[in-house]
Amino acid sequence: MEHFALWLSAFLTLGILSFLYKDNPWYKLSEAVFVGISAGFWFVTLFWDNLVGKFWDGWQDEPMLWVGAALGFLMLLRLVPRIGWISRWPLAFIVGATSGLWLMNYLASNIMVQVQATIQPLFSTSYASGPDAGWGAIVGSLVIVVGTFTGLVYFYFSKEHKGAFGATARVGIFFIMITFGASFGYTVMSRMSLLIGRIDFLLGDWLGLIN
Amino acid sequence: MTFHRGRTSSLASGFSARLIIVIVVIAFLAAPAMWSRADGPDIVLAGSDSALVSLAPVTSLVAADNTYDNGDALRLTWVPSIDDRLIDSKIIGYRVYRLAGTGEPEAIADLPPGSNQYLDETVLRDSVYSYYVSTLSERAEFPSNRTAVISPQREWINLDRGYLFLIALAIAGAVIYYVTVAKRGKKLFVRKIAGLEAIDDAVGRATEMGRPVLFIPGIHDMDDVQTLAALTILGRVSRTIADYESKIFMPVARSLVMTAGREVIKSSYQAAGRPDAYSDDMVNYITDEQFGYVAAVDGIMVREKPATVFLLGAFFAESLILAETGNSVGAIQIAGTARPAQLPFFIAACDFTLIGEELFAASAYLSGEPRQLGSLKGQDVGKVIAMVVIMIGVISLTFAEAWKIEFMQDILDRLSVVFSTN
Amino acid sequence: MSTRAKELIALGAITLFALSFYLNKVWGRGTFEFPTWLSAVVIALIGLSLLWILVLTLKGRLIERRVVFVYVGFAVALPLFMSFSQKITISPEVYQLHDALMELPAGSKVLISFDYDPPSAPELQPMAESIIRVCFEKDLKVIVMGLWPQGPQQANLALEKVFQDSAIVAKNLQYGKDYVNLGFQAGNEFVIQRMGSSFESMFPSDYEGTPYKEIPLVRNVRNFSNVDFSVNLSAGFPGTVEWVQIAVDRYGLPMGAGNTAVQAPVMYAYLNAGQLEGLLGGMSGAAEFEAVAEYQAKGTKFMLSQSFAHVVVIAFVIIGNVAFFRSGRKSKLRGN
Repeated sequence: MEHFALWLSAFLTLGILSFLYKDNPWYKLSEAVFVGISAGFWFVTLFWDNLVGKFWDGWQDEPMLWVGAALGFLMLLRLVPRIGWISRWPLAFIVGATSGLWLMNYLASNIMVQVQATIQPLFSTSYASGPDAGWGAIVGSLVIVVGTFTGLVYFYFSKEHKGAFGATARVGIFFIMITFGASFGYTVMSRMSLLIGRIDFLLGDWLGLIN
Repeated sequence: MTFHRGRTSSLASGFSARLIIVIVVIAFLAAPAMWSRADGPDIVLAGSDSALVSLAPVTSLVAADNTYDNGDALRLTWVPSIDDRLIDSKIIGYRVYRLAGTGEPEAIADLPPGSNQYLDETVLRDSVYSYYVSTLSERAEFPSNRTAVISPQREWINLDRGYLFLIALAIAGAVIYYVTVAKRGKKLFVRKIAGLEAIDDAVGRATEMGRPVLFIPGIHDMDDVQTLAALTILGRVSRTIADYESKIFMPVARSLVMTAGREVIKSSYQAAGRPDAYSDDMVNYITDEQFGYVAAVDGIMVREKPATVFLLGAFFAESLILAETGNSVGAIQIAGTARPAQLPFFIAACDFTLIGEELFAASAYLSGEPRQLGSLKGQDVGKVIAMVVIMIGVISLTFAEAWKIEFMQDILDRLSVVFSTN
Repeated sequence: MSTRAKELIALGAITLFALSFYLNKVWGRGTFEFPTWLSAVVIALIGLSLLWILVLTLKGRLIERRVVFVYVGFAVALPLFMSFSQKITISPEVYQLHDALMELPAGSKVLISFDYDPPSAPELQPMAESIIRVCFEKDLKVIVMGLWPQGPQQANLALEKVFQDSAIVAKNLQYGKDYVNLGFQAGNEFVIQRMGSSFESMFPSDYEGTPYKEIPLVRNVRNFSNVDFSVNLSAGFPGTVEWVQIAVDRYGLPMGAGNTAVQAPVMYAYLNAGQLEGLLGGMSGAAEFEAVAEYQAKGTKFMLSQSFAHVVVIAFVIIGNVAFFRSGRKSKLRGN
């Protein structure tokens, strides 16, 4: 069975990789298997973890779960065209609850704390001596402050980007693009890591060529 | 002999008096051990006579729940020892002890002389505690009476987050104001967004080439505002497609998005006067699994060869795969997402990219809906607040650090209090 | 010969090679490793060929995209056969996470949230194994959970791998007393929110069905205030962002994070603001953590392939830009 599993994994891996050559029946088969199994996996996971694991096993301790179950059922009414409008209510509940939670979380963690962290001294006596000494610290502070400020100016939509305001926004987009370049580089590393993992499987676990 | 009896009596009474005195002294010395001091430990006495300085304990020790918090703090107040007022006071500080339930006393804080309060923030809600405070000399401790047992309570309002609330109110208030203004018909200015003008040209290109338009609304569900923005733009795009009599395909990864997408496209075709041209097959659910969805969409791109691909919404690791495949089939691609990690790939592989909030601005711009426009303007108010605070903070901190100007330090301290989230 | 025939012959050849290597493996043949001179020859050949491609590009002869795929494939695969390893420079944020774990006294409870699935395992699984190993070496108690369905399964795989080490086996760690897997819970950020009040409400039983109150390690763990440190291993949503917003900022839980390299740049904002106590980014983060923990595993092993792949990508970025500037700026609305 282990041999079959190894060969099946290798077959599907190489099938997906064959797309790099061109679209072919091998890729189509692997794609269809992946899509089908993933849909089935998610259905089983959601059924056993949510419906059974959370609701059916838990409603006696938490009767409020029936409210959630009822809202979930109302969502399914979307399939009945005449009363499909009812499904908007549970949807509104989900959107509202999520928005309420996210509003304060993002405001606190992503705005207030970050604004506080952006406030750096452009010059400090600690830049002359101590652990933060050196031009690097000054440049670092400048980059953070100027980059954040000009980035905010770029995303200000109530004023046309003209004159001094436009020039500031242009500086902002430079910072943004440099950030994206760094992020792109990091992501190339991520993609290569995934490829390395697969190649390690093919050469190591499957063919036994490497340790 | 009466005189002998008298002398014997006086001797006896003298002895009794001395005995009584000795007993009283012993009793006085032994009293602390004999009294039922269930309220505190025995006094620790120093080893040498010179260190036996007796200090008065603190008085009026009260433990109370810290009001308007999350039920995670208890506040102690007391009147400091009277010996603390002396010029040559022997007090070196105070030590706070806590007893959790029936447990042993645990020292939780050492405070300097003169202290008269302490906030214990390491308590657990629904647990019970009592406290006592010891006055410290160099060699000994003089504990107070123990407080009554208390349990921290959670209040409905947490004033620790008061400033957060005020800032949220300011931004939300701005949003509500501008929404109201927009609903009254006042035109709200939104700057031009690059890429929006290309939508009509892109759809026109698809019509000329006789190839479909592929619209991918991200892989998140309807609870993500990016998906909602994408569906708003879909309304405009599908209306243009209906007008141009072109074709649209919309594979989705969430069932709710499928039904919402069908409604939007159907409405657009009806508004264009072509309800018969609409078909439910234009929008298809693939799978919830991220890379399963990607594999299927890649297959659709390669087989159907769309002339235009819209990648708008919440994307994750699949963004580059989709953009690359679209690029390889020669499609013109217009992308937009608010996820910063995915923007580099869209910028590299797509023709036009809506960066971050530009997606929402585009949605507001195209729909012209008062709520969306008002929200955008309200968010701009938030950005102005952030920019002003950063400027003030940087200037204050620079002057405070470099030239030690106290006034600037005060401004900075105030800002720190306002922007603290705990 | 038609293209289809060539493709079929190539497919047949690949299958035959694969079968022969596989049979050799089954029959107990050892692994293959390049001697140093061969590694040097391979590196030189790749370098020279890249230079040749650059020359061709300057002459206006553009290469096909599939050539790029082949080069990347070689850059990833060939270093796996090479015998030399790469020097790992450790970043301050990796030291920060390691030091945070080292400063915990023995017996401290560490909550590790596995918020990823098998596609992200090449980056995050080495991190998970190293972190769990460090926790066990320091006699820290490990509580595992997941906000992604496959997270707890990945955790079990990591635990299995760690328990192959004889030094860890010698500690005689017991499930339920020294470590526990609470399993997966649906609900995304709402789970973290509820855990702030009560772990048991979200995990009434562990991964194996044992009721929460019967597990010695967690029966007295009511909420985040009973946990001494937390590490979040995340590949997306829900993940580190949600943990920082709720568990760190609202409940004050000290937390470090390990993220895929895609997400890591976003997390630096949280690291700089002091919301995270350490950050491991991608496979290089995993390799650095292995280096600081003095333990060599897959993260370290794969770094050579990573570096080679990066060099090849940089070379093709240069070549691509040369081609781009040679051909002039393409128009915005392209034809076929």
